Amino acid sequence: MIATQDLIGSLAANLRPVRRLSPPLLRAAGWLGLAVIVLVLLSIVQGTRSDLLQRLREPGFAISIAAAALTGALAALAAFAVSVPGRSRLWMLLPLPALAVWLGSVGAQCLTHWVPLDTGSIGLAETARCFATLVLTSLPLSLAMLIMQRHVVVLRSVSTMLMGSLAVAAVTAAALPLFHAFDATLMILIWNFGTGALILAVGVFASWRLTS
Amino acid sequence: MSQPPRNSPASLRLVTRTEPQDASSQPSEDHELDWSILMARAQDGDSVAYRRLLTGIAPYLRSLAARRHREPNDQEDAVQDVLLCVHAIRHTYDPARPFGPWLTAIANRRIVDRLRRQGRRNRYETPLTAQHESVAADPARLPTDHRALEAALAVLPPGQRRAVHLLKLEELSLKDAEAASGISIASLKVTVHRALKTLRSLMSDRSQP
Repeated sequence: MIATQDLIGSLAANLRPVRRLSPPLLRAAGWLGLAVIVLVLLSIVQGTRSDLLQRLREPGFAISIAAAALTGALAALAAFAVSVPGRSRLWMLLPLPALAVWLGSVGAQCLTHWVPLDTGSIGLAETARCFATLVLTSLPLSLAMLIMQRHVVVLRSVSTMLMGSLAVAAVTAAALPLFHAFDATLMILIWNFGTGALILAVGVFASWRLTS
Repeated sequence: MSQPPRNSPASLRLVTRTEPQDASSQPSEDHELDWSILMARAQDGDSVAYRRLLTGIAPYLRSLAARRHREPNDQEDAVQDVLLCVHAIRHTYDPARPFGPWLTAIANRRIVDRLRRQGRRNRYETPLTAQHESVAADPARLPTDHRALEAALAVLPPGQRRAVHLLKLEELSLKDAEAASGISIASLKVTVHRALKTLRSLMSDRSQP
């Protein structure tokens, strides 16, 4: 075993200047900026749904999207805050109110506007486009989050990855209804909860694999 | 322990109280302030300040490790593990914030992880007994084991193979291996750890019926 004093000597001898991590708020803003860029590019390439403006006037729809986007923003801020050693874990509570509103609004839509899934109205092409939106939104955001939080690997902070995954899931869930029409309640449920749960599960599993 | 730094900048006299006189379990406010200043300077590349900081925090880390590890060797390994981690993520420290919580969070995280790893290892490993020694010394087993090990070594990436050769086969110290290979001690430690993990997995695969 190398003597601790020798290790200290070696670390000091090989010291290089480092650039300090920016404050969590700034880093979260950078990540959200990337999310906006991705969504703008997607809207240029894919085009938004034809009845978007009309649907945005419906309070339920607007609240659902706004709450999902807010959940994403606050979860991103929480992820960047808890990733810094010594910061309070209470940051993880930050996105919870918005998350509750988001999940509540989805639930309320299902209760008040129950529309059964009409399998004939949803073709394979539309499903493929939805999946493409899902991947094109979540993949760059997940990669960006992973790169920006790479220092967390040595700390094995699952809480950071959990918040990061929630941020990606919420932003993706907010983006999907902007591009695709889901009038069937079951589709809303599947996309909102299914997408969120899938991205959360993949994120937590990946962080567990990366850190073990 | 720490030697007075030669050619130290005059402003470092502000932090002379960081000399590790005690191994108290809680860093005092004075210590925290000093450590914070030293880390800020270390982030800018001041190796003298960095050496003083690491020397100063080592007794505190040792006291934290002693709460969880009974064996002095384990305690020292844990201290070194935390020091390596502090080195790897020193850019995450914000000098505007207190140093103590930053350091303690890293130390606790790494020490608990180390305990978990030890727990997992102990589940699969048993202490070496005289019976094991006699089996291991069986000359009939050696050629096969040797060939299997060589085959497994051949699969490793060149960097990992070299690290294993230097540290495990030639049994050089980390310092000598660093001199021989030009790779830093921190990198050697990580590389050999990864290599042994791969070898363990390869050898266990071979031993499966």
